[in-house]
Amino acid sequence: MLTINLFNGLVYGALLIVMCSGLALIYGLRRVVNFAHGSLYMLGAYLGYTIALKTNFWVALVGAPAVMALFGVLLDRYGFRLLQDRDPLTVVLVTFGLLLVIEDFVQTVWGKSNLTVDAPAALSRSVDFFGTPLPAYRLAVVVIGALVALGLTAWLRWSKAGLFVRAASTDPVTTAMQGVNTDALSAGVVGLGTALAGLAGVVAAPFLSLSPSMSSDVIIDSFVVVVIGGLGSLGGAFVAAMVLGMVQALGAVYLPDLSAVLPFVIMVAVLIWKPAGFAGSRT
Amino acid sequence: MTIVRIGLAAVGALAVGGAVAALVGSGTVLSLLTQAVIYAVFASGVGLLLRQNGMVSFGHALYFGLSGYALGIVLQLGWMPAELALVAVLAAIGAVAFVVGLVIVRVPGVAFSMMTLAIGQMLFLTASRSRGLTGGADGMNINWPSTLFGVPQSLLLKPAVLFLVCWCVMVLVVAGLALLLRGRFGAVTEAVRDNEERARFIGLRTLAPRAAIYALSAVIAALGGSLSALNTGFVSPEALHWSVSGVALMMVVVGGYRALWGPPLGAIVYFLFKDVLGDWASHWMAIFGIALITVIVFSPTGLAGALERLLPSRRKRAAAAGRPASAH
Amino acid sequence: MSDYVLQAEDVAIHYGGVKALDGVALTLERGQIRGLIGPNGAGKSTVIDAITGRRRLTRGRVRLGGEDVTALGPVERRRRGLSRSFQRTSIFGQMRVRRQVELAAHSMNPEGSEADAEAVLRELDLLARADDVAEDLGYGEQRRLDLALALVGRPTVLLLDEPMAGLSVKESLDLAQHLKALTSRWNVSVLLVEHDMDVVFGISDVVTVFELGRVIASGEPAAVRADPRVREAYLGSAA
Repeated sequence: MLTINLFNGLVYGALLIVMCSGLALIYGLRRVVNFAHGSLYMLGAYLGYTIALKTNFWVALVGAPAVMALFGVLLDRYGFRLLQDRDPLTVVLVTFGLLLVIEDFVQTVWGKSNLTVDAPAALSRSVDFFGTPLPAYRLAVVVIGALVALGLTAWLRWSKAGLFVRAASTDPVTTAMQGVNTDALSAGVVGLGTALAGLAGVVAAPFLSLSPSMSSDVIIDSFVVVVIGGLGSLGGAFVAAMVLGMVQALGAVYLPDLSAVLPFVIMVAVLIWKPAGFAGSRT
Repeated sequence: MTIVRIGLAAVGALAVGGAVAALVGSGTVLSLLTQAVIYAVFASGVGLLLRQNGMVSFGHALYFGLSGYALGIVLQLGWMPAELALVAVLAAIGAVAFVVGLVIVRVPGVAFSMMTLAIGQMLFLTASRSRGLTGGADGMNINWPSTLFGVPQSLLLKPAVLFLVCWCVMVLVVAGLALLLRGRFGAVTEAVRDNEERARFIGLRTLAPRAAIYALSAVIAALGGSLSALNTGFVSPEALHWSVSGVALMMVVVGGYRALWGPPLGAIVYFLFKDVLGDWASHWMAIFGIALITVIVFSPTGLAGALERLLPSRRKRAAAAGRPASAH
Repeated sequence: MSDYVLQAEDVAIHYGGVKALDGVALTLERGQIRGLIGPNGAGKSTVIDAITGRRRLTRGRVRLGGEDVTALGPVERRRRGLSRSFQRTSIFGQMRVRRQVELAAHSMNPEGSEADAEAVLRELDLLARADDVAEDLGYGEQRRLDLALALVGRPTVLLLDEPMAGLSVKESLDLAQHLKALTSRWNVSVLLVEHDMDVVFGISDVVTVFELGRVIASGEPAAVRADPRVREAYLGSAA
């Protein structure tokens, strides 16, 4: 039993990693806390549903994030870039407005009732793990989470673009003066961030089911992760995501009454102790 | 504004409310207006936090719903007469909010906003799941007594009377804030908002004033909640949901947070719009989302700010001084 | 010893291997103007941070009128009469000028804050802008407002951190003379950090020279000017 619960924690943690890395990337480059991130996740999931309906899950896995990436580039070009000199709270409120628009759009196009997406046939079986059968699909989710974490870390550490991204999130003005096209870079990174949200949505669909409330369900957890890990810190987000995933999964089983409240208690406690989160925020 | 001008404006506003109550015949319209006014009070609380502390709360529905629940529980347990309960609940919420404020106003910028979202949702989820006293997700009825402050329920709950009561509360809240904030407390909190470090270097303590504003904003939101509890006789976890906080925030931004009458304006515009939208009403989220974005981008001081810029007296003064009028 | 309105004893601020201040000793007598000069990075602004409580001391004591205030924060020190201005203008952008100056006066002089504010605004030529919002003021006016916030309420000790920054030569000299007259009239003792040599040597009663976090010379302006160590470190042949 414990194995299953730990595993589920791992699965949810992996999902949060994919979600929150997008949030952290967007914050790192644009200093924007994207309140619409949960809605982007939801939009990705619903797009994935429709694409999968017409073709198959694998196409959706690539297609939905691609559409979301395009959306992200436009969002940066016509949203964040134009508002970059404004007060950060202003931009937060704009993302909140965006949240409302996306929620409405999703409900209008796909309706309010729950929809289900089936996992692809290739993964609809169990894998034996030391005597415990684990759903192959969920295992795949964990793999995806790990790939995202490793891939992003490697990209940021060793690639040229990654170097530019790290430079731009520390000091955008100087980086631009060095000849780096920070506007194109930001658009790319935001696009990547929204694509990751979309990917998380597509990946979550088979085991979390689609509903209009899925955005608010996940955004709170994402905020908890990002705040605990430290705004803008990718590594912090990875660790916090895993911790929260475990807490949620184990809490749901062993402390059902408290489980809903536990993440917030942790978040509040962390913020009281370290108002800028564990990894500290870059202001 | 001078005390006299505030007083006159308040009297004028009360008169307008009286006229509306007397002249509007339709119970439905009055009911709609009452809801708008209740939200106007709620939004004033949210707006106060933004105006004086520069902080955005996505979780004030917590206090809005909490007062309803507190009233419900107190009245059900029969601990005290309803009149006293109304005051006691607000006082208790104020005290709790002050303590909470002392802790959370230290959290900077957007992290504060995220935290308010989390705390609000925490209470929402707790209320949704705890059956027992609070009725869980179904909500609870509030046992108002047959007379309140000597006024029988049958009279109090008439649309025109209830509207007038809520309207008077709203006017008193706005006027009260205007009087309070023109003095030293207002100056202290504005200074701390603008430049916390310099505030310390001119000898001001910075934590308690901000916590006090947070507590006051919570009490005002709770006052709105009390009015709502009176209006519907019912409270449910929905009143604690972050979307309710979000709506209030929208009213504050669209109405304008610099002017004390901005949030109430935003509330009234919101409800009128929602009513006027008719068939489109199912898309209210998208429409308000777009309205929010538009206002923020083009007129950060909201409708109140835009209106103030158009006022002739401001233009004349600005022209005489040879510089653009600032939105104050 | 206790005649000094301000005393810094063996003040040191070390962090991460950097010795921003290393054993600094300073005194200020009643009604005195002491100039602090030194190259960039010598520690002049850090001394003000140390004395006002903006930075924590690694070592040393600060005494205000004989009282040890080392453990107190900026709020407490201000309430005891220690005031400072800022090198990078630090004002209350969205408040009206008069309102913020009155607020600053109130914490020092609750009874006469309005009269105090009026006097300071007049002296610093800000009366015309008294009802304007601070962010609408020009650069020079904002610098004067920063100064006003420090000066109002009759502080015992006033620490000025490059008050002439960004002003023209004429403006600097005018302001310097004005400040000298004002602080003399109001019996305010002044510690003046400033780059402009003419200003410092023009109005200071005594001068202290800093280099690399240490005091390398201190005394009357003429003596300091002639000090070979100072010439070598800072003034060069231009003096």
